[in-house]
Amino acid sequence: MNIHTYEKTWLAVSMVLIVGFIATVTYGAVGPGIAMIDDDGGSIDPDTINDDERFNDPGVTHVGENEYEAAVVAQAWTYTPSEITVPANSTVTFYVTSRDVTHSFTVAGTNVNTMVVPGQISEMTVEFDEPGEYGILCNEYCGAYHHTMEGKLNVVPQDEFDLTELSTDASDEAQLGNQTTINTTVSNDMNYDLETTATLEIGDQQSLEQDVTVPAHGSETVEFAVDTTDLGTGDHDWTVTVDGHEESDTLTVTNATEGGDGDA
Amino acid sequence: MSSAIEKGVDGKHPTNETDQVRELDHDEYDPIGTAILVGIYFLILVALWIFMYFVEFLGNGPTVTGVLLTVVGLA
Amino acid sequence: MAMRNAYIDQFPKEARVIRAILWSSFLALTIGGTLGLIQGLHRTNVLRFIPSQDYYTVLTAHGVLLVITFTIFFLVGIFTWAVTTSLDRGVKDIRFTWGWYAIMMIGTLLVGVSILGGVVDQIPMNADVLYTFYSPFQAHPAFYVGFVLFVVGTWLAGFDWFRTWWAWKKDNPDERIPLPTFMALTTMLFWYLSSIGVAISILAFLLPWSLGIIDSVNPLLTRTLFWFFGHPVVYFWLMPAYMLWYTMLPKLSGGKLFSDPLARVVFVLFLILSTPVGIHHQYLDPGIAEGFKFIAMTNTMFLLLPSLLTAFTVVASMEHGARQRGGKGYLSWLKALPWRDPAFTGMALAGLMFAAGGFSGMINAGLSINYLVHNSWWVVGHFHLTVGTAAALTFMAASYWFIPQLTGKEIWNRSLGLVQVVLWFIGMTFMSNAMHRAGLFGMPRRTAEPQYQGFDFEPAVGTVAEIDAQVALGAALLTLSVYLFITNMVLTTIGGSTSDAIPDNTYAGTLSGPEDAPVIIDNLKLWTSIAVVLVIIAYSLPLASIIDAGGLFGPGIDPWKPSVVADPSLVLESVRGVMP
Repeated sequence: MNIHTYEKTWLAVSMVLIVGFIATVTYGAVGPGIAMIDDDGGSIDPDTINDDERFNDPGVTHVGENEYEAAVVAQAWTYTPSEITVPANSTVTFYVTSRDVTHSFTVAGTNVNTMVVPGQISEMTVEFDEPGEYGILCNEYCGAYHHTMEGKLNVVPQDEFDLTELSTDASDEAQLGNQTTINTTVSNDMNYDLETTATLEIGDQQSLEQDVTVPAHGSETVEFAVDTTDLGTGDHDWTVTVDGHEESDTLTVTNATEGGDGDA
Repeated sequence: MSSAIEKGVDGKHPTNETDQVRELDHDEYDPIGTAILVGIYFLILVALWIFMYFVEFLGNGPTVTGVLLTVVGLA
Repeated sequence: MAMRNAYIDQFPKEARVIRAILWSSFLALTIGGTLGLIQGLHRTNVLRFIPSQDYYTVLTAHGVLLVITFTIFFLVGIFTWAVTTSLDRGVKDIRFTWGWYAIMMIGTLLVGVSILGGVVDQIPMNADVLYTFYSPFQAHPAFYVGFVLFVVGTWLAGFDWFRTWWAWKKDNPDERIPLPTFMALTTMLFWYLSSIGVAISILAFLLPWSLGIIDSVNPLLTRTLFWFFGHPVVYFWLMPAYMLWYTMLPKLSGGKLFSDPLARVVFVLFLILSTPVGIHHQYLDPGIAEGFKFIAMTNTMFLLLPSLLTAFTVVASMEHGARQRGGKGYLSWLKALPWRDPAFTGMALAGLMFAAGGFSGMINAGLSINYLVHNSWWVVGHFHLTVGTAAALTFMAASYWFIPQLTGKEIWNRSLGLVQVVLWFIGMTFMSNAMHRAGLFGMPRRTAEPQYQGFDFEPAVGTVAEIDAQVALGAALLTLSVYLFITNMVLTTIGGSTSDAIPDNTYAGTLSGPEDAPVIIDNLKLWTSIAVVLVIIAYSLPLASIIDAGGLFGPGIDPWKPSVVADPSLVLESVRGVMP
């Protein structure tokens, strides 16, 4: 074959270019440690997502010192949870799956980006060094309102982060003289016990405190007994505070003899 | 050989002959201009690749990393 | 006056069928281009006159009409020209040629009507599934049937060219395969190999599923089978452009092809490497091991080689022409090229843009860097330079040479042709640079409204408004360019007068001819076997592991028919309903 010297040189230069590209990508894997989405997440039947240990209550869980897992369910046209909060200086492993069609889970303006294919679980580990706020978007067409599918990722300073949640069960009304209770369930998704104090403030004067220990990945209910006699009749705003998380409502104390509907 | 191949000025079916001022055969033609152009292209490719990979991509963190780094970090 | 020897004079029957084919192609270009303008204006929020839900119907039609219908019709037309011209013999039976064209047309109509059903209530069909039709989206069965018919039509077209070649070989046992025929045949061989993927995806899974014969499919499997075909298809669009750059551009430049043997090597490399690379579209897919993705990347990177070789050979052929036309100096020979010829200028500008698109393709081929650009607007910028310019602009430019060959008429207005190809170049410069840049800050592709409630994009350079303005302006210029093209073609065909001055139907001569190429290069069986082996290496393990993990028919995946469109607030209610 009769190939001109210049073209032979170009052939050699082209090979250098190609090998250089492959070498760069190899460096990316062994140097900065970039890993590709692969088959580690395993597969799942979309109909069983609600029964799945990981996805039946999607969200962030603490699994190691600075390590967290975030389970996310994508479906047309939303993510559950739609807002994810993780601490800075943490390593977060995302597990994302789809309930219906193919989506993506893409943190806009970053390299955190995966396809979410029904039947598959996308697993990816990401290090968040700095606090920041990011948008999450779906970049794979997923139906008529694809463009409305978005979420939020907040990376907050470590000292502002916890995985404590409150939920309260209390009556709205009580009769004067009776005792009523305000029950607050404190859940803790960290992998260590949470020792803290729950405070109830009700009306103008009363303030009750209780120490509580919530086990790792568990919950504990704090029961506040409220004496209505001390409060007197009328509407009393109350707030339960645990570690800066608050739940509030109003308790209405009625006069027993008036049958609860007097307004004299 | 098919008759459809263009034969140049001395061929049977010349085209563009009015514009042609000389004929260069394989041995008297060195594509030096082409070598310069593809050389420039090569330099552009290398510069842009380095920019894209090391500035745009690696500077665009957070990035998906493997377990490898976590292990190293804990050690 | 010497007797005119244009294609229509040599092969009047073939010229008629090629004219019909090219007109189908041009019609798809005109409709598809118009839809592109609607999208460009809608996405950028410059002008929105359709509901955003309908954007996806428009997008499906734009994709299918331009990347399948326009390009592949042009391909089958031009390959028919290439085979008959270079073998100097007509097709064996012109009725067969009309037959495969008719099958492709029926397929196109079925696909077109089913997509149109997305916006026309009277048509009880829907195929808002985009050109990739990923399951569990389920289109109307007519969409899948139409797609299959279209592909079967191309298979028969390939058979038409092969048997024309077999007949020629019998008469010319010792001759090398003429270059244009060699290019058409090698292209068809990888097309046969790769379209098996989409054929299995549709015939074994999607069509029976849409007919209710099976209840579930494996989305990752059908997706992988799609990309088995989906990357080779981009080379399928590109190969006619390459053929024109190798066989027409040197001639239009006033020179000869620099190296026929290397042109053959390039097409052999495409035959071997086009298919075992499809997984590079799935770098971010779960369920495929990283090692398989790395293999796909390596194959993809080596696929750069034939394109880089093409850059040298084609530019060297143009330089040869320029120097024969009196060009001098290191680079000032560029001025001696025939820049007033729309066919030359369009193809040369298409090649230049392909050099830029080649770069963004190199980024796309990179494994880890895909996190940055995957499914972003960058990718759309990339393929508007490749299929949308390297192929589309080359095809339009070549038409200024071919339509006179096929009709015996002069182009209605060649200056307008020059304006048209330059306008395309300018419009695409605006549109594609903006799309590439937008992708880098994360703006997604395939989205009616890339404006989000909870966050804003943060470009490092420029603004979102400036990028949107460039895209809208670019889209407008490109659409205008399409209209100028089609106007010129219509007026040439219906208004132009028959001319004796049409040049002869020839293609470029060579500086280094096929006699310099080892005979083994023409051994199509050998190269096809190697291609098959590479495909088996690249795909057998990934496919086996996908089937092993998710089952042949998936873990009970419910079909999703895009026609069942609910209000998003109702959908949110239903979401709350299914969440525990």
